[in-house]
Amino acid sequence: MYEFNGIAIFFILGLGLPISALIGSHILSPKKSSPQKYLTYECGLDTRGETWVQFKICYFLYALVFLVFDVETIFLYPWAVTFKQLGTFAFVEMFIFIAILIIGFVYAWKEGALEWF
Amino acid sequence: MNLALIMPELMVTGLAFIVLAIALLIPRNQQKNLGYITLVGLLGVLINTFIYSDGDQQLFNNMFIVDSYAVFFKVLFIIASILVVLAAIRYVERISERQGEFYVLVLFATLGMMILASAGDLITFYLGLELMTIACYILTAYHRGNKKSSEAGIKYLILGALSSAILLYGLSIIYGLTGTTTMIIIAKTVNQIGMNPVFLVANIFILCGLAFKISAVPFHMWAPDVYEGAPTPIAAFLAVASKTAGFAVLIRFFLYLMPEVSASWITLLGIIAGLTMVLGNLVAIPQTNIKRLLAYSGIAHAGYLLLGVLAFSKDGVMAVLFYLAIYLFANIGAFMTAGCFVNSTGSNQIKDYAGLSRRSPFLAIAMLLSLLSLAGIPPLAGFVGKFYLFTSIIAKEHYLLAFIAVIMNTVSVYYYLQVVRMMYFKEAESNEKIIISNPVKLVLTLTMTATLFLGIYPGPVTSIANQVAINFF
Repeated sequence: MYEFNGIAIFFILGLGLPISALIGSHILSPKKSSPQKYLTYECGLDTRGETWVQFKICYFLYALVFLVFDVETIFLYPWAVTFKQLGTFAFVEMFIFIAILIIGFVYAWKEGALEWF
Repeated sequence: MNLALIMPELMVTGLAFIVLAIALLIPRNQQKNLGYITLVGLLGVLINTFIYSDGDQQLFNNMFIVDSYAVFFKVLFIIASILVVLAAIRYVERISERQGEFYVLVLFATLGMMILASAGDLITFYLGLELMTIACYILTAYHRGNKKSSEAGIKYLILGALSSAILLYGLSIIYGLTGTTTMIIIAKTVNQIGMNPVFLVANIFILCGLAFKISAVPFHMWAPDVYEGAPTPIAAFLAVASKTAGFAVLIRFFLYLMPEVSASWITLLGIIAGLTMVLGNLVAIPQTNIKRLLAYSGIAHAGYLLLGVLAFSKDGVMAVLFYLAIYLFANIGAFMTAGCFVNSTGSNQIKDYAGLSRRSPFLAIAMLLSLLSLAGIPPLAGFVGKFYLFTSIIAKEHYLLAFIAVIMNTVSVYYYLQVVRMMYFKEAESNEKIIISNPVKLVLTLTMTATLFLGIYPGPVTSIANQVAINFF
């Protein structure tokens, strides 16, 4: 168990620091309340008008396209690390994988997923 | 590792990407040729599936099983998607300016089903299931701008996600109990530990998820609404291929994995089968919309098919396999007739089928043969299929279920014949001829031939099904 002492100290410090910061700020901070402070937090501004509004959800397409590259990277890293042992087969395999992702990306591009309108 | 074993799957994937790439390159108004490209590709895959059909082999550490059982189902899925694509060519042209995606999604759904039939691991199983279902959600809502289609898509999505969640929970419990996701190892562990309450819960959850896919009562509510709203070829695809896929995995999962604990799920399946037959057939009677009628008839058929599963014997599995094959032709025939009718008249109401025998004798005879086969009238394939199903259950002395099945089958003849009565003995309101496009004509000819042929001479398919069932036990 001796070799885990470092981790234990690290864990305790990591836990203690934010807790002491929170407690410290709670003790030190001046407490002046105003009605605005009890409002629902919304980016620091007062709420204006109806909260049930329609807004564009175009960003979800960006999220999907981002996912394409995200998944690609997740696979590319372990592949790159063991690339030499895996040989030609893995090389071809990775290219097929990237080709599939690129077809998906080109499709999204062509269909206008990257345009904000 | 022998990649030749997953050749059909690789080919379908490749075909899907080729179709997608071509759809990007050619202008929108020339895209109907994509349907023919898809068809040719699928025919190639079908031939390939036949060629590599020998022996039981495993791939990727038992994650993927290629045995005669999987191959049988794959052939069914590919035939179903060929018929659906062929019938959909004109339909898609009419409902949407985007045609490429339609074929790509049908191909991905087929791929999902093929993976499902070969799944030897819980992860492959779930992956195949989701690939199939997600493609089907989009296809259901493919008729953009049509409220019914969008409604059907949303309903299917929400209920499908719920059922997937339940199924996944069941799978995770099994993983928790056995510590593995490979089905063979799970089977060994399960037979050692025997019945366990937690395990029973997992079984029920998985059964719920699969009962949704095969639209068995009480998880059937989505079927009529979704079939009604979905484009007709897709309704046929859901009613046939998606249901067959559900049965493929249901049989593999329960018969292969749980033989030692069969008592626990046979009772459960018996209750579900009885309810499904009674409700499906009784609710079908008052339907006025042909697609809803076919949906309830499909629910009833899930009940009949479950009988073969819970017979838990070689004959039972054989009966289910044979029935799924003939159900494919009869149901696609009926749905495509309805699709052709709605294409030229814009109506799905049964009362508008009045005088169809004079307006289009060909459509009327196609509908007649499909419905009579579904009802199980002797010279047609449905009779042979039901005969095998009911004998398999009687051989296992489940007399009550056999009794319900026979009574309910008699009830079903009534509502099928109502449609026939409309078509043949009522005067038409208009005498306008109904135009049938050539691809649809071909599909209907194929389904009629298969329905008649398998009714008179079921030998070839029964012997294949028998061979598959023997290997399975």
